[in-house]
Amino acid sequence: MALLEVRKLVKAFDGKAVLDGVDLDLEEGQVKVIMGPSGCGKSTLLRCINRLTEPTSGQVIFRGEDVTRPDTDVRALRQRIGFVFQNFALYRHLSALDNIKLGLRKLRAMSEQEATSRAEHELRRMMMQDHGAKYPAQLSGGQKQRVAIARALAMDPAVLFFDEPTSALDPHMSREVVALINQLYLDNVTMLCVTHDVFLARHISDRVLFLDHGCVRAEGDADHLLEDHEDPHIRAFFGRETQGQ
Amino acid sequence: MTSWIAFLQEVLLYGPQILQGLGNTLLLAVIITFNGLVGGILVFYLTLSPRSVVRRLTDGYISFFIGTPLIVLLFLMYYGLPQWGLPLSPLTVAVLGFTLNVAAYNARYLRTAYNGLDQQELEAARAQGFSGLEVFRYITLPQTLRLSVPALTNQAILNLKDSSVAFLIQYTEFFAEVQELATRTFQYFKAYLLAGLVYLLLVSIIVLAARRLEKAILRPMH
Repeated sequence: MALLEVRKLVKAFDGKAVLDGVDLDLEEGQVKVIMGPSGCGKSTLLRCINRLTEPTSGQVIFRGEDVTRPDTDVRALRQRIGFVFQNFALYRHLSALDNIKLGLRKLRAMSEQEATSRAEHELRRMMMQDHGAKYPAQLSGGQKQRVAIARALAMDPAVLFFDEPTSALDPHMSREVVALINQLYLDNVTMLCVTHDVFLARHISDRVLFLDHGCVRAEGDADHLLEDHEDPHIRAFFGRETQGQ
Repeated sequence: MTSWIAFLQEVLLYGPQILQGLGNTLLLAVIITFNGLVGGILVFYLTLSPRSVVRRLTDGYISFFIGTPLIVLLFLMYYGLPQWGLPLSPLTVAVLGFTLNVAAYNARYLRTAYNGLDQQELEAARAQGFSGLEVFRYITLPQTLRLSVPALTNQAILNLKDSSVAFLIQYTEFFAEVQELATRTFQYFKAYLLAGLVYLLLVSIIVLAARRLEKAILRPMH
């Protein structure tokens, strides 16, 4: 059974459909990348799945349960989806360690000691154990990214969402993110990643989904989609992107 | 010089009353600073309500109390309400009037700080599974309070200084006692100078405390 099945998902803002009947499947342990031009609805798709944005119609089935129904426990759903934001969105008034502990203490009702040891474990996993006491303003972009991932992983999510994980990083840091995501893949973490970055897409996933004007225009192997797709529109998109690299 | 010594002797003579007045001033200032902060947080929370009716009413409240002179409100309650059979003590009127007024100002400061927050952090908290109230309690409020420390301490200073207005509704605070001293000794200049120096001293204490607070909690955020 797929971990996540999205069926005919529509999201319209003021009558204009940003998502226009999107279908998507994500298997346990899979890493899938969603690509597409700016404004194609990539980020909206992620936000509709965890209902930060309410979908207009369609279904999202999470481990066999339709989570678009009105009686869905939205907060419980969100706790099962780790979300790593584009600009990392660390809580700036809390140290790295406390960023991770907040959810554990307040949402998982862990004791101070339990939460601290869990948070320290996640920081070690991200090789950030020496930076726990630092505040977000004292961390580099790549370090913030690692803390954001640690914060998401600490909650034991069923899936990890990445929204443009490399857009705020320099090329060197972007390569580190690739290594990081691949390490998580080996740890059997299911991931869904929205990105513009062809380098990232090519190196973290074998399945790429191309979203255009709110519809899935193509889905397939990264090599096929990024190299020699029959759709001239897709070829043009990636052709421009790879030349721009 | 001898006139100063004579004046200080008078001050010592009136010492107990002046100290009592000072105690009343501090009592009022502490109560309204505390109430104003709690009230301000409550009003600020309501300005973020998803319901537009609540937001509009709250904005109306803030505009009304910022736009109305406090003295009018105090006189209305102290001299006006007894005509409707509701006499209130000077302290009650002062606490009520100042709280309503200060809460409106504090809510506006917090709201201004809120506009500068990174909305993505609030969205990240919702994405983690926090409820609206939890996001407010754990993210929005700690951040807006930290950013508002300078504005809120300014308000605390204003509270201390403006508490002297309460003497116009028969609240025997520090300035009222100084006034008494001045009229009894005819040493107006010296008495008011003394009052000014005492206020300056108290304000300096608040300023120093605020600076330490700012250093301790604001620095890591930037």
